[in-house]
This record gives sequence, structure tokens and C-alpha cells, in this order.
Amino acid sequence: MKGTKFLTDTISRRSFMQGAAAAGGVAGISALGLRPAMAQEPDKPAELIIRAWGGSWVDSLKAGVSDSFTAKTGIAIRHDLTEDNEIQPKVWAAVAQGRVPPIHINWDTTTNATKSALRGVTEDLSDLPNLKNTTDLAKPVGLDGYPIVNTYGYVYVLAYRPEAFPDGAPKSWKDLLDPKFKGRLAFYNDGIGFHFPAQVAGGGKLEDIPGNMQPAWDFITKMKEQQPLLGEDPDFTTWFQRGEIDAACTISTNAREAKKNGIDIKWVVPEEGCKFDTDGLWIPKGLPANELYWAKEYINHALTVEAQQVWLDGLGLPGVVPGVNPPADLVGDPSYPTKPEDFENLIRISSKIQVENESEWFAKFKSIMQG
Amino acid sequence: MDAAEALAAALWPARFGKAIPYLLIAPAVLVVGLLVLGLVEITDASLRTLDTSTFLPSDYYTLANFERAFTESLFRTVATRSLLGAVIVTAITLVLAFPYAYVMVRTRSPWLRKILLIALFLPFFIGQVVRAYGWLIVLGNQGMVNEALGLIGVAPLRLLYNYPAVLFGLVQYMLPFAVLMLAPAMTAIPEELEAAAQSLGANWVRAMVHVVLPLVRPGLVGAGLVVLTLSLTDFAMPAILGGGSQDFIANAIYDQFFRTSDQGLGATLTLLLVAVGSLLVGLVFTVFGAGTLAKEARR
Repeated sequence: MKGTKFLTDTISRRSFMQGAAAAGGVAGISALGLRPAMAQEPDKPAELIIRAWGGSWVDSLKAGVSDSFTAKTGIAIRHDLTEDNEIQPKVWAAVAQGRVPPIHINWDTTTNATKSALRGVTEDLSDLPNLKNTTDLAKPVGLDGYPIVNTYGYVYVLAYRPEAFPDGAPKSWKDLLDPKFKGRLAFYNDGIGFHFPAQVAGGGKLEDIPGNMQPAWDFITKMKEQQPLLGEDPDFTTWFQRGEIDAACTISTNAREAKKNGIDIKWVVPEEGCKFDTDGLWIPKGLPANELYWAKEYINHALTVEAQQVWLDGLGLPGVVPGVNPPADLVGDPSYPTKPEDFENLIRISSKIQVENESEWFAKFKSIMQG
Repeated sequence: MDAAEALAAALWPARFGKAIPYLLIAPAVLVVGLLVLGLVEITDASLRTLDTSTFLPSDYYTLANFERAFTESLFRTVATRSLLGAVIVTAITLVLAFPYAYVMVRTRSPWLRKILLIALFLPFFIGQVVRAYGWLIVLGNQGMVNEALGLIGVAPLRLLYNYPAVLFGLVQYMLPFAVLMLAPAMTAIPEELEAAAQSLGANWVRAMVHVVLPLVRPGLVGAGLVVLTLSLTDFAMPAILGGGSQDFIANAIYDQFFRTSDQGLGATLTLLLVAVGSLLVGLVFTVFGAGTLAKEARR
């Protein structure tokens, strides 16, 4: 009631009519397919802060999206390289305490981002104009609207040093159980990317996920005997470069990065399949209105063919906008699926199932590997 | 001068003198108070479970996180590894730190003392993470040690990413702390006592065992406590030199807070780590006294 009185006291009939007319005008422009921004751009912030992964990941984002956004708008982009897992509690705490979040946009795994969406700390992005040009991959599965926009997909491939496989590329994840690979394999330290292929390699069915994953745990227990190294994205590139490992379950981008650095490395999708997942961009709640507007503009820009082409050329990953061409070295590569048949041997489990069970899977994988 | 004294007396009357001790401990009380406040928050979080449909903590209290911490094999394994590692690292570090500190304090050569001091302080300018990465370069499959072994025909050995590598890194990290804690205790022992023991027929070893060691015990206790608690709570060495399979408790806590977003379980493990660390320190205080960390030890 107090607010109502405040409004009636300070907004005159004339100013209300002016506001209504302006809103109607903006709506009219929108109906014509033009961005309201053309008519009425909010103040530009000096910079936008985008959380990103380091190394070739941030280099690609900068080259493909950030630099062209700055050129177009004049807004500087600062890349915050805080780990995605570490920024998450900071953003959650900021939103819970009503503070302005420490970043404008989070470049995040879809699974992680889904947790934030379920917690209610993400802004809705359904009104981004360029969403109409995207494929189904852009839409987060199991969530209302677009609290996240998926921007590309990726495959957790079996990367290997050809020198260590003189008889040819490994055909199965089981090939890694050869005793000669003891201490020469690597996985993510929470097992991400390997749980689902392990389910198949262990004789189980994907339909049994998450109800019965015993085949996966049995296969991972066998793999534990190989004393694999466990790490994060940058570790895989480093380990391949230093000759510490012969094979790894890792995102193809890391293997490609090692290859670019002169390491003889290849990758395959074995017969049991590989996990396919997505990353996305999202905006935390609590930003001032003008900064929210420009953060949305950044994500909208990231969904243009031009931005996706350069960004994803750098990452070597398939995007969500039709018309983006694969880099020359990845044409026909199993880690760069473009046609429906390319997805036949890739395993995609819904974010909802992953989010609800991830803690348990991570703990189980850790329990096996730390034992 | 009189005016200054009058001003001082006006600002701080003599009757306020009794407050001085309380003012002196006020900063410590403030710091400890903040820690206690943090622990209260952590305790509250530890009694709530994570709802994976909303990723919010439960609005009711439960002991479910404590039940998980005590029953899941992962946490038993990690806790045992951390405790055992802390004890081993403490023992090895003290054995290495004792002769280092002794030579540094007793040497007649100023050059040797300077070299030992530089070698002691240099690692402090290099952070723990950088030092750990240094060991990756030295001990890696293509590192200096394996290259040297290669020269005599030895195939590359896996020197990293195992429990001994973590303990080795921790000992190297803790050694300067232990020497710094031992050196003052060593300096406080008059050299004449050793000379007197030897003049009464004790050889150097007996003088060391029966005179120096008992007198330096407070320093050993203080250094041991510091090394034990720092090792028990270390994060970087297990993370970097352990290859992901040699986690300590701190790594498990990190995983819960930042990887699975389960802040309740992370808070539970944090509380248990604080409790175990406090119990260990209390045990050492009870058995050996507080060492150089308390006045009574100097009696």
C-alpha cells in the first residue's frame, strides 16, 4: 500500500501517458522484428565480466565472441578465469544475500548451470532474438524456458598416442585394460565423461541409468587396477605433452590442443560410445538493469553464425547455429557430429538425471579410485 | 612535556591501567570470535542436507551428513591417509630439521650459517603450488631424475602421482617451518652444557642424547605441532603430486563444496577435521606439554 501511495504521489497522469506511449512504441518495434535496443539502449557499462575456462578455451571465446562484441558495442570484456565449480558458490551466495553477483555471464557446463537454474539464480533468456536461429541443442532439456542457452556440444573421446597402439586405434574402452597401460591412462578426477561408456563396457544398458549402474562401477573397478591418473582439463594436455600417459578419456578439445602443440595424438569414439554433452552461457540474477541488458546482448551475439564460427573453430566443437562449418582438420571427425547418424554412437543423458545423481556418481567414482 | 603528560592523563587516566591487558588481547579475541562465528555457520550448514531438486539446503536439521561421513568408505580412506601422512611427515621432518638447525646454530663458519639461512628462507619466497609444480618437472617421466637414470640405462620410473610423492612434497614444504621453530630452542641451550658433558666423559652422541635433546624438546614439540597440523590440513601437495588418487581430507572437503555443491557434507567434513586436529593438539599438549608455544615449557 505504501508503494501505491508513493506512485500516485510522484507519477502524474501526463508522465504515465508518456511512459505508456514509449512502451507501446517499443512493443511496436519488437513486433516489426527490430530490437528494442535500436530505439532505446540502456547505459553501457564500462565492462562485462565473463567467467571462462583458461588456455585455448578463453582464447577462442575472446577471438570469436568477446573481441567482436567490443568492436560492435565499445564495451570491454574481462574474462574471469575462476574455475566454474568455484564461481558457483560465490554467485549463489551473492544472489542469496541480495548482492550484485561477481560476474555478468557464466560460461558453464550445462549440468552445473542446471543446478543454478534449479536453485533459481539464473535470469530467463527466452527473449534473445537469435534463439530463433538455433538448433534444438541450444535448449536445455528438462527446464522451463531458457535459464541457460547451450552454445555447443562436445564429446569425451578416447584420446591416445598412436605410438602406444602399434596395432591400430583402440576399438573398445576395454582395450585400455591391457597391463602395458598400467599407470599410463588418465580420466577426469570425478569420472565425468566415463561413467556412461563404462556402463556399456561393463555389460550394462544405458536405459538402466541411473537405477542400476553396477556394470559401470564394476568396469571402473577393473580400470582402477590400471592405476590411472586423475585430473582436470589442463592436466590432460600437459600429461600427453610430457609423455606421462598413453590414453585418456577427455574432451576432444584438450586432445586437439596437445596435437596443435606438436604431440602425435589421435582420438576415437570406441564401439561402446562416448558421452556427448553441452556447455552454455547464463546470467546470474541481481545485476543492474542496464548490465543485464548488455549481458543478454553478449549472449545474443554469441549465437550469431560469425561469432560461433570463430569461437568454435578454436575449440573444434559443433555449435548450435546452422551454417557453422567444421574446421578443416575436423571434417568427418567423430568428435564433431553434424548429422543425425553422427550421434548414433554418442551417449546423451538428460541434464536432469545427471544433476540429480551427479553427487552420488562422483562419490562412487572417487570411492573406487581412492580406495 | 607537562602539557603532553596532562593530555595523555586526560585521554588515558591512570585508573584505566587495569584495562591494558584486556586491550592487548582484544585483537586475538576478535580474530578467535570471527573464527567461532564461522564455525557456528559451518555447524548450521553441517546439519542440513542438500535437496537436489532445488539445490538448496534443507530447512530442517538432521545428522544425515555425519552418518555419511562416518559410514562411507571414501571418507574413512581419506581420513586414514591424511592422519597417517601427517604423522609420517612430522616424524621425517623433525629428524631432518634437527641436524639442520643444530649445524645452523652451532657452526663457527659465518659462510656456512649464511648459506643455511638462505637455503632455509628461499623456499618461503616460492609458494607451495609453485614448488609442487617444480617437483613435477624434476620427477616427471621426462624430468631431470629420469633423464639422469636414462643415462645409466634405467627405464623411466613412475616417481610422481603416488603416496610417497605426496609425503616427499610435504616434507620438503614443512622442513623450513620446523627448522625455524627449532632454531630458537637450540640457540637457548648454552654451548657450555655440551662442553661440560663431554668434559665429564660423555662422547658427542651421549651429550646429544642426554643433554641437547631433552633441552630442545620444547622446540621439537612446537615444531611437531605446526608440521602435524599443517600436513593434516594440506590441500595442494595431494592435489598436485597425488595424481588425483591420493586425496587428503582438505581435498574431500573441496570436492563437496565446489564439485558436488553439497555444502552440508563439506561443512560436516570441515567440522570433523577441526575436531580431529584439536584432539591431536590436545593429546600432544597433555603428553609433552605445549613446547615453545607456551611459557611453562621454558621453565
